[in-house]
Amino acid sequence: MRGHRRSLMLLLLPGLVLLLAGFLVPALIMLLAPPDTTTGEVLARLGQMLADPYDLTIIGRTLGLGLIVTVTCVVLGFPIAYLLARSQSRWAGVLLAVAIFPLLLSNVVRTFGWLVVLGSQGAVGQTLVALGIVDEAPQLLYTPLAIVLGLVQLFLPLAVVSCYSALAQVDANLDEAARGLGAGRARTFWTIVVPLSWPGVVVAATLVFAGSITAYTTPYLLGGSRQRMLSTQLFQYSSSTIDWAAASATAMIMTVLVFGVAALSSVMGRRARAS
Amino acid sequence: MSVTSAAQFQAVSQVFGDFTAVDAIDLTIPEGKLTTLLGPSGCGKTTSLRMLAGYLRPTGGRILIRGEDFTTAPPEKRNLGMVFQSYALFPHMSVADNVGYGLKLRRVSGSERAKRVTEALEMVGLAHLAGSRPKQLSGGQQQRVAIARAVAIEPDLLLLDEPLSNLDARLRLQMRAEIRRIQSETGLSVVLVTHDQDEALEMSDQMVVMKDGRIQQQGSPQDVFPAPANRFVAEFLGYENFVPTADAQVTVRPEHLHVNARQSPAATSDGLSLDGRVTDLAYRGVDVLVTLAADAPGSSSPDPIRLVADLRASTAPDLRIGDEVAITASPGHLVTLPA
Amino acid sequence: MNTRRPVAASLAVLGYIVMIAPLFFVVITAFTAGSTVRFPPDGFSLRWFEAAVTYQPFMSALASSLQLAVFAAVASLALGVPVALAIHRGKIPGKGLLEGMFLSPLIVPELVVGLALYQQFMIGLGMNNLTTLAIGHTVLMFPYAVRVTGASLALIDPAVEDAARGLGASPMRTFFTITLPLLRPGIFSAALLAFVTSFNNVPLSLLLQSREFRTLPVTMLDYVQQNYDPIVASTSVLILAGTVLVAVVAERTVGFAKIFGGINR
Repeated sequence: MRGHRRSLMLLLLPGLVLLLAGFLVPALIMLLAPPDTTTGEVLARLGQMLADPYDLTIIGRTLGLGLIVTVTCVVLGFPIAYLLARSQSRWAGVLLAVAIFPLLLSNVVRTFGWLVVLGSQGAVGQTLVALGIVDEAPQLLYTPLAIVLGLVQLFLPLAVVSCYSALAQVDANLDEAARGLGAGRARTFWTIVVPLSWPGVVVAATLVFAGSITAYTTPYLLGGSRQRMLSTQLFQYSSSTIDWAAASATAMIMTVLVFGVAALSSVMGRRARAS
Repeated sequence: MSVTSAAQFQAVSQVFGDFTAVDAIDLTIPEGKLTTLLGPSGCGKTTSLRMLAGYLRPTGGRILIRGEDFTTAPPEKRNLGMVFQSYALFPHMSVADNVGYGLKLRRVSGSERAKRVTEALEMVGLAHLAGSRPKQLSGGQQQRVAIARAVAIEPDLLLLDEPLSNLDARLRLQMRAEIRRIQSETGLSVVLVTHDQDEALEMSDQMVVMKDGRIQQQGSPQDVFPAPANRFVAEFLGYENFVPTADAQVTVRPEHLHVNARQSPAATSDGLSLDGRVTDLAYRGVDVLVTLAADAPGSSSPDPIRLVADLRASTAPDLRIGDEVAITASPGHLVTLPA
Repeated sequence: MNTRRPVAASLAVLGYIVMIAPLFFVVITAFTAGSTVRFPPDGFSLRWFEAAVTYQPFMSALASSLQLAVFAAVASLALGVPVALAIHRGKIPGKGLLEGMFLSPLIVPELVVGLALYQQFMIGLGMNNLTTLAIGHTVLMFPYAVRVTGASLALIDPAVEDAARGLGASPMRTFFTITLPLLRPGIFSAALLAFVTSFNNVPLSLLLQSREFRTLPVTMLDYVQQNYDPIVASTSVLILAGTVLVAVVAERTVGFAKIFGGINR
């Protein structure tokens, strides 16, 4: 038994050292005792932020856009996953691969596409001008809409994967059984398919929301300085203005939000599984 | 120490937290015989086997193999051939490499190894599949490869953990005979764990019935079957009818119960003789299962006792539900159990 | 698509458009003969591909990104596989808590991790940015290694390892002749995922950059802010092609969907 315990320690030790020295300790020091300032100042700065209209706008924008992105991703991702999970076609595999593939692709590349589409010389603006709908291409970049589009593109694959793995486990015979009992297509969907795959939807929503409120590349490229979000603001504090107290306070807000969402989701997931 | 013991458990226990899986058992595994550990799930039979094989260290007692203390030795130091319930074939190796794995570790030279692998596979009739991957084999074939792999190392004991439970009924019967044949050909001492009493009765030289981590009874099938030591063993071996008497209880197997339309006083004076009523009939082709409610003279409870008789359909009297009947059994078929 | 479910089908089509259409326009732009990113493109040429592969900052950034990604994948696996083994094969009390702790870098926002390392290691301890990046990327990829190899380990019947022990193999020998070969697809998936994730990372690489060592995505991001020529489009197409190649390799070896099945249990 003693030998067993020693070899377990040997297996865990390098990983533990990495986790503690390379992540937990620096993160805790950064959050609670950043250089040239005190924990008190960080907390005071946090208090100020939560009362300052400008900072509150950023927090509100981050949460609001995150929510819109989450709902959109579920509304678009669930049907994709549902159709693919129920399809007998051999194209379903290809379409699933197409939906998952963007997860491997650089966010910079994916987001850059929207600069081409939404920019003043871009596809949407020029098409509107060419059709004579507007005289001059409208400014679509650096708007909340641009950020939402970019983030939906970014996180939709994640929503599809989560919903798909939940739906794939729901026996398709259940649909048929419900139809056989007289439930219409819509009724079957809402009373059988949705409740049974709900845990997957919860996972999807959690991943998308947590991702959206912390993503950096997309709000940076598509929102710029006009549509600051917590992430771009954090970067500003830590690289341009070097305001450690503000950076730590912002990091705290982001971390608390993400952990809060994760906790909420695990409670919801457990409840969904229990019922 | 007896020379004829392949392995011995001496007061061996296995305690997991506050659960005692095996409770100080003493057991001798005879040399060159097939011993089955029989019992329901959770009785400690597999735990006992895993302790013998070295996968679990006993929390108390000693385990001797060929008279030597192996209580704390790891599995690789024991030279036992284990066949797992899931077969546990190495999926990334060919059948021949599976069988040769243990020989390689014993530094058996290439040509000698090839010869012994072929011998082991021939013994189970699968020499032609040497180059296949485990995935390509049927369940029964995988089972045989697992046995060949365990036997190839010429183990001191061959251990089989529920070897037949993943096979279909027909194959199971076939493999029972196959394992017996391998045992007698090789002369190996075999320990087989099972929850199937028919399997144990058919295959064992010695059977060990376990419950709640304790040995309930051991002996040859011929000794154990006609004389179960207690009600648990009796029930486990298929005795269904338990009739309380003044100071004990008697049991009789369903096929040994006679049911006849009630004449005046019952014919048999010794043996069992009860009055009862037919409550259910199930026709099963060869036989008829008759469920009965009998008045129990020795019982303290006013409720009738439930009995089941298994009658041959060809000779069974014409019975209907509700018929008043006489239930009898000859004295030779009665087993007296402690109350 | 499915015409019997018009609502679901329309939403699905819309979803695919949002996911794919921007990439389509990137590809079109990359082949322009003109000198600005505009639609419709001015003619067809390969000049921007030539520009991309001869643009020194991008190429040296590409080399940096590849080195970093390989290092992070190898290092995170070297540390992660033993942890997965301990969690799945060892009898540890509080296993769930331990696993949660090892997966925690996945939950904390990457930018927060980046800030912590930038502030504490580069500024506080004066470490160079290469070392800090190597540590940071390894930390971020570590949960993938633990989780994906762990999921693959959970699929291996422990009796197979027991069988090897029973046949006379020491624990070490059992690991190298049985467990490791069976774990190979899991390790490959984890390596692939770690490599790609590290290669694409922005938040960490952005905060930990230096003039001497910066990654390709960060360099591109910077370039987009200053210039508006199609070189970023052509570079994007090259990255897209490379990623497709990785995806094909993944599909041929371990199955593409399985890799992501591993992270979203």
